[in-house]
Amino acid sequence: MKSIIVKELKLILKEKRSYFFLLIMPLLMIVMFGSVFGNTDDSTVDIHVIDQDHSLASKAFLSQMGHIKGINLEKTASKNTKDEIDKIKKGQLSSVIVINKGFQKALKEGKQADLKLYQDPSSASSVAPVKAVLKNIANGYREQKLSQTLAAKGISKEDISKTLAQPIVIKDVNTTATGINYISQIVPGMTVMFVFYIMISMAKRFFDEKKSGLLARVQSTTVKPYQYLIGMWLPFVIIVFAQCVLLFAFGHWVYNLNLGDLAALGLIIICISICSSGLGLALSLIVSSENMAMVISQIIALGGAMVGGLWMPSYLMPSFVQTIGQFTPQFWAQKSLQDVIARGAHIGNVIDGLAILTAFGIVGLIVAMICFPRFLRSAAN
Amino acid sequence: METVLNSESFNAQSQSANTLLEVSHLKKTYGKKQALEDVTFSVKAGSCFGLLGPNGAGKSTTMKILTGIIKADGGSANLLGTDVSKDKNMVSKYIGYVPQEITLYEQLSAYDNLVFFGEAYGIRGSELKRRINEVLEDTGLSERAKDAVKTFSGGMKRRINIACALLHRPKLLILDEPTVGIDPQSRNRIFEMIRALNQSGITIIYSTHYMEEVETLCDEIAIIDHGNVMAQGPLGELLERFGQRAIYIETSGLTEIPQLPHVMKTRKEGSGWVLETDQVSNVMTNLIKLAADNHWDVKQIEVVRPSLETVFLSLTGTALRD
Repeated sequence: MKSIIVKELKLILKEKRSYFFLLIMPLLMIVMFGSVFGNTDDSTVDIHVIDQDHSLASKAFLSQMGHIKGINLEKTASKNTKDEIDKIKKGQLSSVIVINKGFQKALKEGKQADLKLYQDPSSASSVAPVKAVLKNIANGYREQKLSQTLAAKGISKEDISKTLAQPIVIKDVNTTATGINYISQIVPGMTVMFVFYIMISMAKRFFDEKKSGLLARVQSTTVKPYQYLIGMWLPFVIIVFAQCVLLFAFGHWVYNLNLGDLAALGLIIICISICSSGLGLALSLIVSSENMAMVISQIIALGGAMVGGLWMPSYLMPSFVQTIGQFTPQFWAQKSLQDVIARGAHIGNVIDGLAILTAFGIVGLIVAMICFPRFLRSAAN
Repeated sequence: METVLNSESFNAQSQSANTLLEVSHLKKTYGKKQALEDVTFSVKAGSCFGLLGPNGAGKSTTMKILTGIIKADGGSANLLGTDVSKDKNMVSKYIGYVPQEITLYEQLSAYDNLVFFGEAYGIRGSELKRRINEVLEDTGLSERAKDAVKTFSGGMKRRINIACALLHRPKLLILDEPTVGIDPQSRNRIFEMIRALNQSGITIIYSTHYMEEVETLCDEIAIIDHGNVMAQGPLGELLERFGQRAIYIETSGLTEIPQLPHVMKTRKEGSGWVLETDQVSNVMTNLIKLAADNHWDVKQIEVVRPSLETVFLSLTGTALRD
């Protein structure tokens, strides 16, 4: 069996196509998505403003906006509101705030100050933060006005602050490990997705052995069928393990991905390796051709990635998709990995995921053992 | 009960019985196609046995049954009295099998291929290294041992293909058309290898559809067609029994050979004529007299040795097809 394992590892490492599917593609995807979404935590909202009042009040208002974290005020050079509206119509701007003339005067007189928000209806998601900021500042002005009115009626400062205190206070409490970002979705997601491409490599190897007559010849030696099967399977377990280790190491060193409990992570990777290579073994021996194996591998890898929450978190998908996803090994692989990486879980917390992944692998092995005699016969004839 | 053979008992048995392999009434069907109908032959220890037949005759199927790769539907094949289908260990220990295809890992080196097959035959460590060096020496490929097989010529690949089956020192080497697709020089090299192996005591079963290969290498043959062994015996005996003797005559200006007594069939061949007969001396005497009387300008007149081609024709009624 050792000779088969050594031979197979040498053949896999000499096969250039393996590197493409197992390493280059996932690395490219991680880099691509990492570049696009990796810095979402540091993103700022650009707010375009036309100040037509040029008063102390309008400047104070803008200064207040400018001090909010994540807001970048961009005063437009043009004083013509129509030009800016045209830009919105052309899709060059998503929104613009116009502080009309008379803003300070209205505030002083206790009237409603006029402020307009021009927006592109198709960019609702990018306008929403601008709206929230404006509403927040407007609330501040309202509180200030209330406070002045109450003070004018002789109510003490303490009573005023009690009256204006928010009835509900929302406090941010971080329940997960530190360093969570989009990378903690992408690195495990892409790793798990491309792990299942090992099935293509496995099917190719088995069909090469069959077509070349090598499998028939090996049957004339002292090698037992079970030795051959295990000898062909174990190298792929090792390859998938190495693939996962390299991709997570890349995520850790390049994108500062938090790896969590390394023992738990290692165990999950072992279970993923058993799972994907076990299913690959079964597929290689069930299908009648290499092309069919390739098609089914794509369906399993891409379909599982889609419903298993590898491309986006499961909770963002429709409930029926979430339900289907739970029947895929990709879901349990991703969940277990994210539990360890993002939620600080340890081995004890991911036992269910480990068991399910191993079960998938064992089912694959059992199916492979059942189908192997037929495969051997077809190779011999 | 599993039969355990060691090399001493092997030699003792082979010497006493002198028959290494006894194949009896093998049958094999693939779906509706009957590949083997009735294959019966025996191979003497130390012989070079030729299995001659056209493509699709059942040679490869017979070889695969002998090596335990496939099971026969009926009949038996006994290696020193032990049914090969019941003792796979003995088969892999005593038989070396060289399939028709070049079954090597082309991306790996010749040495790596030999390591793989050596270990597959149960050889390990220093013994394996020694054997690899020996077979590389025998095949004349020591210099190219570390090169990838894909860089080899067809003949070199064929030689390594054979070497892989020699590592465990088999008593019986089964070669299934080992010269397909190679140049005459490489073929001669392989013939030399096979002769040397045979002289070293290894019994050879050589399957081919080339008659000249059997005539060159083998001392005993079986002729197989449509899944049946038509005849078996020493080459000379088969030629004597089934070969048609004839006389070849070449003269200038002769457009037709007159009818002669004892001539069964006359045919034009090249610039002359072939007269098939059972009474060579009578016909030869008559021909010489006829030539002298008619002043024929005889360029060549000779007795034609019976060939395997005529044996095959006589047994199957058809020429050996490719």
